[in-house]
Amino acid sequence: MKNRIISFAVLMLFLCCTTRGFAQFYGSNLLETQYGKLPSDAINFGTAYDRALLGYTYNRFTAGVTLEQYYTRYEERNYTKITQYSLKYNSDILDVSLGNFNETIGRGILLRSFEIPGAILEDQGYRSRNYFFRDVQGISAKLKLKDFTTKVIWGKPLNNVFPPNQDNSVRRIDEIKAIYSDYTFKKQTLGASFLSLNNDKGNSNYTMLSLSGVISPKINYYTEIANDIDNASSHAYYGNINFTFANIGITAEVKDYNNFLLGSGFNEVPALIKEHSYRLLNRSTHVVQPINESGYQIEAYYTFPDASVLTVNNAISKNALNKDFIFQEYFAEYSFSTASHHDFKLFVDYAEDPFKDQSNRISSGIYVDWKTSEKSSLRTEYEFQHFNRGGINVQNQVLTLGYAFKSKWIFSLVSELSNDPFLTDKTWKTWFGSNLKYQINNENSLQLFAGQRRGGPACNAGICYEVLDYKGVELRWTTRF
Amino acid sequence: MKSIYLVFLFFIGIQLQAQSIKNFSLKDTQNSTKSFDELKGEKLTVIDFWATWCKPCLKSIPAINTIYEQYKDKGVSFISINCDGPRSIAKAGPMSQSLKIQYPVLLDIDSTVKTQLNLSAFPTLIIVNAKGKIVWFHEGFISGDEKEIIAQIEKYSNEK
Repeated sequence: MKNRIISFAVLMLFLCCTTRGFAQFYGSNLLETQYGKLPSDAINFGTAYDRALLGYTYNRFTAGVTLEQYYTRYEERNYTKITQYSLKYNSDILDVSLGNFNETIGRGILLRSFEIPGAILEDQGYRSRNYFFRDVQGISAKLKLKDFTTKVIWGKPLNNVFPPNQDNSVRRIDEIKAIYSDYTFKKQTLGASFLSLNNDKGNSNYTMLSLSGVISPKINYYTEIANDIDNASSHAYYGNINFTFANIGITAEVKDYNNFLLGSGFNEVPALIKEHSYRLLNRSTHVVQPINESGYQIEAYYTFPDASVLTVNNAISKNALNKDFIFQEYFAEYSFSTASHHDFKLFVDYAEDPFKDQSNRISSGIYVDWKTSEKSSLRTEYEFQHFNRGGINVQNQVLTLGYAFKSKWIFSLVSELSNDPFLTDKTWKTWFGSNLKYQINNENSLQLFAGQRRGGPACNAGICYEVLDYKGVELRWTTRF
Repeated sequence: MKSIYLVFLFFIGIQLQAQSIKNFSLKDTQNSTKSFDELKGEKLTVIDFWATWCKPCLKSIPAINTIYEQYKDKGVSFISINCDGPRSIAKAGPMSQSLKIQYPVLLDIDSTVKTQLNLSAFPTLIIVNAKGKIVWFHEGFISGDEKEIIAQIEKYSNEK
């Protein structure tokens, strides 16, 4: 492996030095080291994770490679792997990708690739760490004409449950062939897709039709339906309509999914549940169940003349499994600034979540950025949550104190408190952590975490995953060029 | 661990050059396809990458709107690229109109441009010069950053 890396580095340096002026190198590197442990670990130990992404552009061609490495004292968790490589051709009418690429069909109902910026995934089972993405390895081509687009895809989507130290045959068990075409006329787009899936369970074929467009400058819509050709009960329907009137924006969405988890899970049906940035609400999110889910989400925004914003959201999701589980959430948020430029955000949320056996879940909080000078501010954030589970009242709280100097220095102290019997057999459990970010320059930044991090579900960019509890020190250096 | 050091040596060996932006085409909130070449500015192009679920992004938009008003007739173009995925893309149009974004809002639902530029955080604001080079790159937004954005626009729009 070492020889391969040296050869690759020499080749890249050669290309860089000999082609300066008409070609270009770019890349980034993320290095994160930890010293600490999960609650289930017997001892503290050190880890090092590195992800180097290198790209090379020459005219319409781009070549890229991603090298990931992870090292601990436990040999079976370690790896050095080229986890992505690609050669791409891009022109105004044709895009071709060989190797690893991201592709989404429709709203992700048939296929959804993603990469969560900066997120490193650690799984309780494998205890290895890797960058959080789901791509496809194969070939794709996209023809882009004025009103007509078509793309063909062949490849193997990644099942990111398995870290890079597992064999590719385990990580990419599904093989897909897909074609998607759309035609745009009078600001309406009609799309159609066919996807064929092969894996150890056999062959399945899916179709999708979509219609989207603009009814008027103030009203637009998107609808799509997908079916399993061989199984009439497997379907996914999604639709939304959006309105804007002066300072008001309204989004209404509906969904109906049944038995529509494709392969190892390379599709991602839209959840229609608000993705909250507040810690407690983000952790309490309802995770969409493509096996059976129906419901709607309505969100409205109103921007006041003083630039303050009111957001309200209501979502209902029904899962008809062995019995009906109906998740419902009502959320309101108001953000405003005072004359002295202090920024306030207030929120309140009510939810019923029978899937998690949480009833009467009430959450609220206040975030304030106190402007202390032209370039610095103090931050105070407080969140409170209460719900009932099986007759037991549970409380969660978060208090954050922070200081920011431009975007150069950002420091925060985070404390969390919970009496959730799932987490503690004592009256209260606490977590204390501190974060420091230093933006060295345009290309480099350092982030330091020390203390305890509370785990649990987290959602980012529409993707939900599990963050593990952690106690220790963590240093991240990010660089780009 | 040795291989990590090798990667570092490799980085040190590279002569740094500013990254360029390639022409791209994305649909806007009115279902029309727009390209970078159509929208780029005579001197500079300011591109703001944001998402509806990103609070600092929403905080930055009124400030960028103000900067846009200041520079729109001075050879500086502004492009807003929304990077919401399928879960929340439906909210991009209504939210951008509610926030009164004055410049074109493009939808990068497939993360095409985000991946091309290797972005790792939201919001990210980049300034592209007339030759297509990314001359300034900024992640995050807190109060006071608007002054830095203006300073950089001034610096690069006066650069020959």
